[in-house]
Amino acid sequence: MDARRPDPSLAADLAYLAGVIERWATDLALAEEPARFIAALEAGAPGESVPRTSK
Amino acid sequence: MTEWTIETLAAAIEARRVSAVEVTEACLTRIGRLDPTLRAFITVDAEGARRAAKERNAELAAGRRRGPLHGVPLGYKDLCFIRGLGTSCGTRTPEYFIAEDDCTAVARLAAAGAITLGKLNMTELALGAFGDNAHHGHVQNPWRPGHCSGGSSSGSGAAVAAGLALGALGSDTGGSIRLPAAACGIVGLKPTYGRISRAGGMALSWSNDHFGPMTRTVRDAALMLGIIAGYDPADPTSSRRAVPDYLAGIEGGLAGLRVGVPENYFGDGLDPAVAAAMEDATRQLDAEGARLVALRLPDPQPLVDVTGLITRAESATIHARILKERPAELQPVVRARLEVGLHVSAFDYLQALRLRARMTREFLRQVFAEVEVLVTPTIPEPAPPIAEVTTPAVSEVIARMGRFSRFTRPFNGLGLPALSVPCGFSPQGLPIGLQLVGRPFDEATVLRAARGYERAAGWVTRRPSLG
Repeated sequence: MDARRPDPSLAADLAYLAGVIERWATDLALAEEPARFIAALEAGAPGESVPRTSK
Repeated sequence: MTEWTIETLAAAIEARRVSAVEVTEACLTRIGRLDPTLRAFITVDAEGARRAAKERNAELAAGRRRGPLHGVPLGYKDLCFIRGLGTSCGTRTPEYFIAEDDCTAVARLAAAGAITLGKLNMTELALGAFGDNAHHGHVQNPWRPGHCSGGSSSGSGAAVAAGLALGALGSDTGGSIRLPAAACGIVGLKPTYGRISRAGGMALSWSNDHFGPMTRTVRDAALMLGIIAGYDPADPTSSRRAVPDYLAGIEGGLAGLRVGVPENYFGDGLDPAVAAAMEDATRQLDAEGARLVALRLPDPQPLVDVTGLITRAESATIHARILKERPAELQPVVRARLEVGLHVSAFDYLQALRLRARMTREFLRQVFAEVEVLVTPTIPEPAPPIAEVTTPAVSEVIARMGRFSRFTRPFNGLGLPALSVPCGFSPQGLPIGLQLVGRPFDEATVLRAARGYERAAGWVTRRPSLG
């Protein structure tokens, strides 16, 4: 298998995915970076309301 | 004993009403009788389990109880590295994955007293939703052999449902804990991204992999989660957040809980039996005092596509060696899904990671300002016959896989806690799952809601007729 050239049967899948990225990424802010995913989870967690163990 | 819950068994062992040796022998006997048909295990470590059971007995006799799982036999998906046992990851290579140390989650369960029965069957490289495996046998649905168990944690789902193990560990990159849980009629929890260490487990996608418990009851899932959750220096993605006592408020019920019922996406293409079960489940939630909120979600499809691109790129990178050097060893569907990732550009991959961050922020802001929990079906259809998902052309199988897992995949991209709990049966007697999704790191509320539903609905008492 030549990793540089996709099998023709995969081309449609790849083209679709590239299209998704192109369509949705047009207005990404310059400050947007992958690590903000973790920050989003931390910021979206509710306040502490349940008993906690020591772990 | 093999039909008991983990909680009941652990209490009975502590009270010396039964011993770790007795229950381990009961599990091994049941495995010997049923697993040639079910194909839930890849490796049964009978000798190791018997040795550990004797040790747990001796420890208890000496007044030492390791923890809340003392003497409880469990099974582990065969992508968890355990020294001395092969880790095939569902491939034909017995030691496909080798880690420096035992899987952290397994080690924590063992430290709490659990006994390892063996390694559980799975879809090859965890790349598949149905539970078929040409190398180790297609895992059979205990409720109806000949039908799928769901995957990729197929052996975990079948073993727990069939009473071969009291609980199991699974992993979930696009639904691989929740799909077999729903298909096999048990509870499966994919926690928040980072809640459970994945160290010592084979990776499929660093950005989307989650480990989690698979059990017969919601309380057992809470018990296992409390043991395996928490920071692990061996997994830099694991969260440093403190771990709550997940059992402390679990009986709090549904009264006043704001439960979101999506108006879009999650009602599309439902099998009539699943649609009816969902209607019954929402009525039950309402009757228990939950405040149902109909809401329109941000369209999950772009997120599913973006997450899929990330998984494709990462899985091809991680498994490039077998893909390039020994492609003929891989099943055609697995190979086809991996190959796509070799051709994803660095530009698209990084844009996908940036988009995922933005989509997660927007989803949390729009949805969880209104509700504390979302409810959806776990799978749009009951488990199909195995032949229906193994004989068609590769492209057809992949397309069906996409439909089968379309309700679970959004929550891997979002990293949110999501749990499947039984909510009924099809006319053919196949289980149907209800998915509950919560805010980040709010597994406690998801578990409380699921337990409230489980207690009211009563499906938990049904077990497959396997003799």
